[in-house]
Formats: sequence, C-alpha cells, structure tokens
Amino acid sequence: MKPILLHGHERSITEIKYNREGDLIFTCAKDHQPNVWYSINGERLGTFKGHTGAVWNIDVNWDTTYVLTGSADNSCKLWDCQTGKMLSTMESKTAVRSCGFSYSGNLIMYTTDKTMGHPCEIHIYDINDMREPAMIFPIAGSKITSAVWGPYEEYIITGHENGELCHIDMKTGEKIHAVQEHSKQINDIRYSKDMSMLITASKDTTAKLFDTTSLRHMKTYKTERPVNSAAISPIRDHVVLGGGQEAMEVTTTSSRVGKFDARFYHLVFEEEFGRVKGHFGPINCLSFHPDGKSYSSGAEDGYVRVHQFDPSYFEFRFDY
Amino acid sequence: MVKTVKTYKIEHRRAPKTVAKRKNWRKFGEAENDPPGPNSANTIVQVEEIPMAFVHNEEEQSEQVEDPLNKLKTQKLVSCRICKGEHWTTKCPYKDTLGPLQEKLQDDKPATADGAAPPGGPGAATAAGSAAGMGSTAGGKYVPPSLRDGAKRGAGETMQSKRDESATIRVTNLSEDTRESDLQELFRPFGPIQRIYLAKDKNTGQSKGFAFINFHRREDAARAITGVSGFGYDHLILNVEWAKPSGTS
Repeated sequence: MKPILLHGHERSITEIKYNREGDLIFTCAKDHQPNVWYSINGERLGTFKGHTGAVWNIDVNWDTTYVLTGSADNSCKLWDCQTGKMLSTMESKTAVRSCGFSYSGNLIMYTTDKTMGHPCEIHIYDINDMREPAMIFPIAGSKITSAVWGPYEEYIITGHENGELCHIDMKTGEKIHAVQEHSKQINDIRYSKDMSMLITASKDTTAKLFDTTSLRHMKTYKTERPVNSAAISPIRDHVVLGGGQEAMEVTTTSSRVGKFDARFYHLVFEEEFGRVKGHFGPINCLSFHPDGKSYSSGAEDGYVRVHQFDPSYFEFRFDY
Repeated sequence: MVKTVKTYKIEHRRAPKTVAKRKNWRKFGEAENDPPGPNSANTIVQVEEIPMAFVHNEEEQSEQVEDPLNKLKTQKLVSCRICKGEHWTTKCPYKDTLGPLQEKLQDDKPATADGAAPPGGPGAATAAGSAAGMGSTAGGKYVPPSLRDGAKRGAGETMQSKRDESATIRVTNLSEDTRESDLQELFRPFGPIQRIYLAKDKNTGQSKGFAFINFHRREDAARAITGVSGFGYDHLILNVEWAKPSGTS
C-alpha cells in the first residue's frame, strides 16, 4: 500500500467520516477547521471556517448536502457541504462531544459534556426548524463520550465514561436499555454497514461487538493498549482497531513501543491477522470506505492516512 | 540544474451521477485558491511502500514480552552502595553498621595497591613512594620517569633520606586539641611506633590538624590506615593515608 497523507490539520485528528458514496472524506481535529477531501486522490475540497475551539466530531447527512460539527467552543454548527458556508449555529452551555444526523437527515442530535456544573445533555433539533431545540434530555450519572443515532430514529445509542452502553429513547429521554461490558470509557461507536451490529472502542484496551437492537455482547477484541477507534469492514468479516498508549505518554517512548499500528482482527474468531504501521502517534479514528477497498486513519500526529488495500488483503484467507 | 519529472496516470472511472457532480464542485475555505488536482502542501503520496504485515497469534505473544520496561524490571534500577540492595544508600538499614566498615575496606584497596608497587631497596622505595603519590593524582595511567625501564638504577641515590619513610602515614583532619599522647594512644594498637610528628603552631602550640606517624613495619602502617581512616575522633572524621616522602613536598 502507498498511503495518501492528508496534512490539512495542525493538531491531532479527532474524527474521520466518509459520506455515503465514499467519494468524500470529512475530517476534524483539535485545530478549529474541519476539512473535506476527495477520497480518490486526496485533493482537498475545502475547509469549514467558523469554530473557535477543538472540533470533536463531524457528520454528514446521507445525500451529502449538510455537514454537522460539534466543537469544544460550546457550539454545534451546520454547514452547507457544497459551498462550505455556515448555515446555523446551535449554542450549548458546555463543549459538544459528539453529534450526528439521523438516517433520514431530518433530525440532528448532539451531546454535551458534564462540566462547569452543567449536566451532560442530549440536544435534538429538527433540521427544518433550527430556531429551538426540539428536545433536551439531561443525562444523569456518567457523561456521554460517544453517541450515534439508532436505526429508525427511535433511540440514540450512547457510550458513557464509565463504560456503559445505553439506548436513550428519542421521545422520553429515558434509558431503555443499558449494558455494562466495558470497564472504562467508550471512545467510539461505529456501525456495520447494515447497522445491525456496532463496535465499541474502549479505554479498557478492548473493542467489543454488540447487536444494535438488543445490545447483546457478541465478540471481544483484545489489545494491550487503550483502543481509541474501531471499525467493521463493509465487505469482509474484518474489524480494524486503532489506538496505542495514551497521548500524554507518547513523548516518552518510541513509535515501535507505542504500538501505533492499525490492527486487523477477524470479526468472528477475534484473532488478529494483520497490521499496518505508519503513524507517529496513537490512532484516534478509523473508518472504512463504504466499498471496503480502502480505509483511512487519523492520529494524534495530525495526519490522516488513506490506505488503498493491496490485492494480498483480498486474497487473504483466515486459516481455521 | 534540476529537472523534475512528474508522471501522471489518467484514469477513467464510472461514477454515480451525484459523485460526478461533486467532483466539479468549487473549492472553498482555505482550499479556495488551490489549482485543480491535489495540492502538494496538503496531500502527500507516500513513496514508501507500507505492506500489511500479516501476523499470527504466537508471534504476537512473544512480542508482548518485548517491553523495554520489562527489561528494566529485571535490572536493578537502584543499587545501594553499602549492601547492594535495591534501595538508595541513605535508606540502607545497615547504614550505621556496615557503612563505616566498608569505607575502611575501600580505602584499604588503593592503599595496598600502592604498597605493592615499590620494589625492594631503600633508595628505590623513596622513588617509588613519590611515584605512588603522583600516580594517584594522575589516575594510574601515567608512568613517571622514575618508574620507567632503565630509570631505576641511579635514581634516588642522592635523594636518599635518613629515615625509612615507607612505613609513614599521614593523618589529617585532626582537631586542634589533639596532642601527641592522643595519637600515641590511637595508633599504638596497630604496632610499634618509631616516631610521631604532630604539626603545631609555633606561637600557640596548638595542633595544625595533621600528623605523621612512623611505624617500624609497613604492614602495621597499612593496618592503621584501614583501621583509622574515616574514624570519628573529636567530632571530626580522620583521614589517614600514606605520607608523601618529604623530598617531594
């Protein structure tokens, strides 16, 4: 593989998302400008200017018309994807940790941090009426560190700082379901292609596979360092895990020891079969291209690397 | 002159209509003024081939052991100078008992090494004594002319002193109140003493803080050095070493 390095950010990458067709990559980082790139050649299409704090999360709706970003400057912004113009700003009392479009693209949710005496909250907006939030749910207990919409917009799946994974009802804001499989913070939640399964990446050095509707724990992928992100291949029974030691310890060790490789596991057998190295810092986010033929990773070193799989990857058969 | 050659591969791909449309979007934000195609400032195609390393689980396990911290764990990070235990010297439980003993032993080592150096003969002994004195300051590498081959004969003949100084030790860091009788008392147990010279101030008659002790036998002197060096006497810690011959000082 000859990866394409996207160097549009000056600080560590916090999130990478492909749009539905996979021709665009959206990246955001701890600097203030999210970027959008063509995935085919790594050409930068544009940047979204307006945030004044670290951008924690980014999402794009299904027809690639709107982009949503959540930032530590206590705001969530809606952008026009084609022109890069800011359409709307949703202010919150604390930093926005995660945000997302519902599958239809009609609803927006974002979650806020529990700091400065304010509780952790989920805000839901209707995209056709951006003046007021449609709903605000305060979340008691451990704060939300990662959140995605459930299928059919019935609930929101939240990962918490204490390792809990919950379904939050869209209408009442109550916890319908809660499982505690992780012992530490859930850093990332990503769906399989058909949204029937989801994978969680946790600081407790494992990634786990869950059934979306029942939250039944199915598989565990073990490493020896905190896992910051995990993704499921859309075409093969593979998952990829990214992580490494904690960012604050990075300067004290070499990259070989830090284990900054992207690690590929078999989905069913939970066994690692491949590694891709290259980053100089822990990987913060990973995403497969929707066609499954490439993936990209963003790391603490500020680079996004877009990898096109070699034929050897597709020829590889897991021995069992 | 540098000639840069760039090779482009033109590919034709079929794409959905929406994707093709997006390909023609105008750039915006910081990329607004970029020319068509990737900007080399932001997009770098890595020249280096990064293969996917296929691993097996057994390899994985062996690699886990390879943590440098683990390696360090087997080594002693902290070693006590007194009992070689894994703690700081100041925290050693044997600090008060073993410590002074060992210091004595350590001082003993260079002393005996020096003692072994001078060859027989009264004349040569003086020369060797001076060599030992100088050698200790030079770190032992430097061979003084008097010790070099062919220098032994003749040298020192004129420098011959009346007293045999090979069994003389110098005691320093004495307190002002020390008297010769005190030194006699202190060094008597090590063997017969030929002479004690305590440096005194001419006017006040008080000790200047150092003394020379001449033993009859060199072995006694050596034992006195190991025994008394580092000894606490009158709130001061004594320093005992071989005396430099009077000729060199």
